[in-house]
Amino acid sequence: MAKEPVRVLVTGAAGQIGYALVPMIARGVMLGTDQPVILHMLDIPPAAEALNGVKMELVDAAFPLIKGVVATTDAVEACTGVNIAVMVGGFPRKEGMERKDVMSKNVSIYKAQASALEQHAAPNCKVLVVANPANTNALILKEFAPSIPAKNITCLTRLDHNRALGQISEKLNVQVSDVKNVIIWGNHSSSQYPDVNHATVNTAAGEKPVRELVKDDAWLNGEFITTVQQRGAAIIKARKLSSALSAASSACDHIRDWVLGTPEGTWVSMGVYSDGSYNVPAGLIYSFPVTCRNGEWTIVQGLSIDEFSRKKLDLTAEELSEEKALAYSCLS
Amino acid sequence: MAKEPVRVLVTGAAGQIGYALVPMIARGVMLGTDQPVILHMLDIPPAAEALNGVKMELVDAAFPLIKGDGVVATTDAVEACTGVNIAVMVGGFPRKEGMERKDVMSKNVSIYKAQASALEQHAAPNCKVLVVANPANTNALILKEFAPSIPAKNITCLTRLDHNRALGQISEKLNVQVSDVKNVIIWGNHSSSQYPDVNHATVNTAAGEKPVRELVKDDAWLNGEFITTVQQRGAAIIKARKLSSALSAASSACDHIRDWVLGTPEGTWVSMGVYSDGSYNVPAGLIYSFPVTCRNGEWTIVQGLSIDEFSRKKLDLTAEELSEEKALAYSCLS
Repeated sequence: MAKEPVRVLVTGAAGQIGYALVPMIARGVMLGTDQPVILHMLDIPPAAEALNGVKMELVDAAFPLIKGVVATTDAVEACTGVNIAVMVGGFPRKEGMERKDVMSKNVSIYKAQASALEQHAAPNCKVLVVANPANTNALILKEFAPSIPAKNITCLTRLDHNRALGQISEKLNVQVSDVKNVIIWGNHSSSQYPDVNHATVNTAAGEKPVRELVKDDAWLNGEFITTVQQRGAAIIKARKLSSALSAASSACDHIRDWVLGTPEGTWVSMGVYSDGSYNVPAGLIYSFPVTCRNGEWTIVQGLSIDEFSRKKLDLTAEELSEEKALAYSCLS
Repeated sequence: MAKEPVRVLVTGAAGQIGYALVPMIARGVMLGTDQPVILHMLDIPPAAEALNGVKMELVDAAFPLIKGDGVVATTDAVEACTGVNIAVMVGGFPRKEGMERKDVMSKNVSIYKAQASALEQHAAPNCKVLVVANPANTNALILKEFAPSIPAKNITCLTRLDHNRALGQISEKLNVQVSDVKNVIIWGNHSSSQYPDVNHATVNTAAGEKPVRELVKDDAWLNGEFITTVQQRGAAIIKARKLSSALSAASSACDHIRDWVLGTPEGTWVSMGVYSDGSYNVPAGLIYSFPVTCRNGEWTIVQGLSIDEFSRKKLDLTAEELSEEKALAYSCLS
């Protein structure tokens, strides 16, 4: 008996992340190759023709899993009945813009989207915010959609998590699938803290700590961290465009593990509503190590935090608190 | 026991089709979710930095299926072709404003002649080749002619995109799931002379498989607008997106290779541009799109399908265009 289709919304769907993301969703990368989907795609009116072009291509690809495509510039139509919402749409930072300007525009967008989702999405809709500033956009969305459970509103740090896995795999010349349990703490920004203190590599002799195998604390505490923090800029320098392929793929990983569960013994990083764990201020959207089961995420508790790490956890929390204050000042 | 990795080459990998295609390959869309891959990506020196950006993103995505050497990103054709089991040739010279057909043909003929050598000398035995870059059929023919030790049956071009577009149009017309429509045929050239043929196409309904013509009940549409829509769909996408199809082209390239390698489902055929053996009175020695089934890594033209007079004319028209392209290509070489 075939499964009932799941409705997945992608906002900003006419952009380059959307263009990378929708075929992944259509092939079951996000929810499994046996899960039919109905795609909802939203973008702004200037992008209507391009959005229709994406819809045409989805029809042209004859995806067996796609049971329908809704392409619209109307937020209500876009949000109606959706079970999963991936918010890629946002105002990009342009040359000459101040941080406050970007924040101001995005705060307005996420306040409006919050209403539409709250009123029209299916109950228990899972939300992933990708557009930057991701954590703060997600927080605004949460604040203005009070009937959506806070636990259902998350932001993407899985890209940073995957980037950290990639850097370790390249350093050790091992398969990336043998590296696990890095952690991304905090903000999806250059203040994030990529932490390998609990990360391991699957070797012929069993699971070994990354620190032990790398044997280079200076690198792990220095260049490794800055490489992961600034990887977005490095991609822009090479491609002249921001990451789309890897962002889309990581968004699929985030949702898939959330919905279908994390593998035994493995955690992932997700930006989630802080409950004060690890002395991180409550009420921020902050990236933590989490496991997922039965459609719920749970922060991994009891991990040791050394002094070096403590400073980094606090630094990124501080930045998030500042962003929150800035966002609220834009609203008043 | 995990499978040995398969080496997959994508040329023109820094472009937009390549960017859509490589994550699909990395997720197992092309060869199955249990088949590890090593990706070889080739592009021209001006695109070297962008190509490295794609490689960086593939590392950043932490794909579990990317194994072994992982990702080889290079501007050197020899390095790119070494040991590859599958080659998807997306790279080519795009038509720019003011260019004559002969100019585009001339540039691409040179490219495909050079790529033919590199593949022939360095690819793994029995390498399967899919040419996507336009003019796809003729680029594939040139490649075949200049790589004589690659079996002709291993050199194909992409008409699966047109095939999928035809399925999509029928599914929209009948308001059915596209997965319930099958056995359309794309005959001939991946160009506006292609013939999308629904005479043997069916829809899976509650009452069993029904012919498309019977359900659509609109021969004028099936013989007219349906055909032109599919033929000109590429232009329609460009008009809407301001860029040519990438997502659907990449997805269809995966379908083409997957069905070729893993086999077509029972009772289903697909369309592939393959080296003609004279079937259906199509001239031998062209790369022409036929209905095929696939089994054990080999394609076989579906024989015995009835071709009515209307269809006969269309099959011949597109064959004529391909013969002209072949002549033009050869004139560029001399």
